[in-house]
Amino acid sequence: MREYIIKRVLQMIPTVLVITLVVFMMMQAIPGDPIITLLGDAYDEEDAAKLRKEYGLDRPVVVQYFVWLGKLVQGDWGASILTSREILQDVLMRLPVTIELVILAMLVALVIAVPAGIIAAVRQNTWGDYTAMSTAMIGISIPDFFLGVLLLLVFSISLNGFLPSSGWVYWPGTCPSVICEASVGGNLKHALMPAIALGVGRAAILTRLLRASMLEIIRLEYVTTARAKGLNENGIILKHALKNALIPTVTIMGLQIGFLIGGAIVVETLFAIPGLGTYGINAIVARDYQQVQGFILLVAICFVVINFLVDLVYSFLDPRIRYS
Amino acid sequence: MRQRSGLVTSLVLLCVLALMMTVAVAQPKRGGTLRVAYGNKIAHLDFHTAPGYEMMWVAMNIGCGLVNITPDGEFVGDAAESWDLSDDGLTWRFKLKDEVKFHDGSAADANAVKFSIDRLMDPETKSGMRNFYDAVKSVEVVDPLTVQVNMKQPYAFFLHMLAGYRTGLVLYSPDATAKYSLNDRKKGTPEAVVGCGPFKLVEWVPNDHLIMDRFDGYHVKGQPYLDRVHIRVIKDPVTQMAAFKAGEIDFIASFTPEHVDTLEKQTPEAQIFTGKETTPMIAMMKITVPADGKKMSENRKPHPIFGDIKVRKAVGCYGMNREEIVQIAFKGKATPWAGMNPPGTLDTVDVNDKCPYDPDKAKALLKEAGYDAGHPLKFEIITDNEKAVFNIIATVIKDQMVRLGAEVNIKLVDKVTWMNTALKDAEWDMQVEDLLSLLTLDSNAYLSAVGSSWNQSRHTDMKINEYYAEYAREMDATKRAAIAKEFQEYAVDKLYWNAVSGSPFYQVAQSWMKGYVFNKEFEVHYDTVWLDK
Repeated sequence: MREYIIKRVLQMIPTVLVITLVVFMMMQAIPGDPIITLLGDAYDEEDAAKLRKEYGLDRPVVVQYFVWLGKLVQGDWGASILTSREILQDVLMRLPVTIELVILAMLVALVIAVPAGIIAAVRQNTWGDYTAMSTAMIGISIPDFFLGVLLLLVFSISLNGFLPSSGWVYWPGTCPSVICEASVGGNLKHALMPAIALGVGRAAILTRLLRASMLEIIRLEYVTTARAKGLNENGIILKHALKNALIPTVTIMGLQIGFLIGGAIVVETLFAIPGLGTYGINAIVARDYQQVQGFILLVAICFVVINFLVDLVYSFLDPRIRYS
Repeated sequence: MRQRSGLVTSLVLLCVLALMMTVAVAQPKRGGTLRVAYGNKIAHLDFHTAPGYEMMWVAMNIGCGLVNITPDGEFVGDAAESWDLSDDGLTWRFKLKDEVKFHDGSAADANAVKFSIDRLMDPETKSGMRNFYDAVKSVEVVDPLTVQVNMKQPYAFFLHMLAGYRTGLVLYSPDATAKYSLNDRKKGTPEAVVGCGPFKLVEWVPNDHLIMDRFDGYHVKGQPYLDRVHIRVIKDPVTQMAAFKAGEIDFIASFTPEHVDTLEKQTPEAQIFTGKETTPMIAMMKITVPADGKKMSENRKPHPIFGDIKVRKAVGCYGMNREEIVQIAFKGKATPWAGMNPPGTLDTVDVNDKCPYDPDKAKALLKEAGYDAGHPLKFEIITDNEKAVFNIIATVIKDQMVRLGAEVNIKLVDKVTWMNTALKDAEWDMQVEDLLSLLTLDSNAYLSAVGSSWNQSRHTDMKINEYYAEYAREMDATKRAAIAKEFQEYAVDKLYWNAVSGSPFYQVAQSWMKGYVFNKEFEVHYDTVWLDK
């Protein structure tokens, strides 16, 4: 197992670097550069030429990438071309917000998907099944952004601010800036709508998958044997069948993390949440290459680490799965 | 007798009560936090170089300048107590107030004024304000409270420029600038971002919030009333409306026109500020292209389509129904406008009669230019997604061109791609955008003079530069207005700058926000604001 872990960790490094290289090249291919954003309505061609030279943007793209990589191996993630702020400081400040949002969204998804998937499978071809599947279809069809706007209209506007429309409240003791609000209740209130907007779509996918998985498992011989032995039906479903049915679901959950981070960009922008999503989209729109690299690096690391953890969870769910 | 004295006493008591109530109602309340929503990020906090209105509105509150301008166009002193101009128009002398201090305690004196203007004029600073100081020869410190600005030639808009061209002049503390680096300033280190305005910077988190607190040493005694201004970036207008309706936000600094009606219905007690437009909405046509194929080349040739004045007139003048565009894109809440100077800008002239909607005349001109059913006019409109209305306008223009027998394609890109295309002499035919808010026609020079980076149409007509120069040097207001009229009539005749309408601007405030003075996009000041709650 230890060797497996070391091997996987070593594999992560080239994976992450290839991702950063591809993104760097793609960013350079998009029209415009950070100097245009930096100067904005004060743009002057002479000033722009001086600034491009100052920031090394007149060098070949490959050279620029390796300069960035050279600094990265020394622990320097660079500074934003636009704001001069250190990238590492800014991404680490925003990371916990997005992680919390992603975790809550996944929890929302599981709270909906697990009971719905079980009911749909156990009550196959009944109203319970049809309701669960129709709801899943609706959930997949509604984009995160649209659901977010609907939630805003209902809970913030129509219900006169029942839930806050925007912003973020941190957990006590986790304020990243000098001035911010911190409370558990405030945090959950601010996170609820964004988490639902993000999580519902994922719940739909997981419901369908879990239903299919459960249908397969509950027809297996060991389940029939358990029933024949007189075990309680709930115990059979929840203890014996569900654990095996979750294996493919856990795989998909790992892949869904990537979609959740992508969805977080849209939801964070809608709800004005200071997370990694808004950081990333603003960096891309502004063509701030340094910021984009920092954002992509962190997201890539999170993604590969989470999928690695998902693989480790398999061996917990199914003792037959062992890594060497 | 007793009855009469009783009546008199009652009347006197009533008057005293009324007076007390008047005083009570008029008296601003001190304290509280003003919660502001911006729809866009603040770029960075080096006020002399950062772009964008959001930065400017912060600079005006953290910083101070020499003079401000009122909505009526009058100049009032900021750090300057008084000023005068020599008879030959070449020497400005400003007498400063002696109580003006920077947030670090240093004096905002003549030395600071010279330092700030010199910094703005220095090419190494790379300030977008630099071109506005072209007429300035030098700045001298006469004594600690007197500064003299020597001009190369008379400049009629010097005070306008100091007050309201972009940020206006924002004074920098020489001490803080020496002590902290440019990067410290850009990234918002509070000790580096030092001004002499009513508020001092407490914290800035890019794309999230900016907080500024009352500066107790502000030179206007008793102001500001607010303890704090908390600015949040909320990009989505639906979210802005939700926050406003829920009372989470007191003031929206720039609200999208297309949602104004909805907000009015949802929050009827809201204060909605607007005025005559000072930003032009343009459907600009490219006039020249590089003759040698090299971008930004000075060797130019006419654009294959819009280099022909007949086609420009057909499309941009007679073929464009500005009324219809305004009705569809702005629900009638904008002014159809053909002139280069927006409706609310100083010395503006209505030249709409020079471009009446006349599709028959447009078709005739296209035929003269060689376009007909067998050889239809084809061109592309490029616009960006910064505002939804741009694409709507482009779509309406496309539809109007179909009526002329022309085929139009719309290319929608993001803002940076648009800038890259427009500013770097790339291939384009027509573009739809709105540009900067113009306090005066003179401030348009850097957007449209030959040789300017922002001369996107790349026209080469030096007469435009001559008009700008003549207008800026004429110190007599009546003669200046006459030059402005002639200039605008010339411009609409040539259509280098094809305006469609004004671009409306709205701000929204809660009913309890008092004391705010609306001055379009130019001046957003919180020093007189107080909260009646």
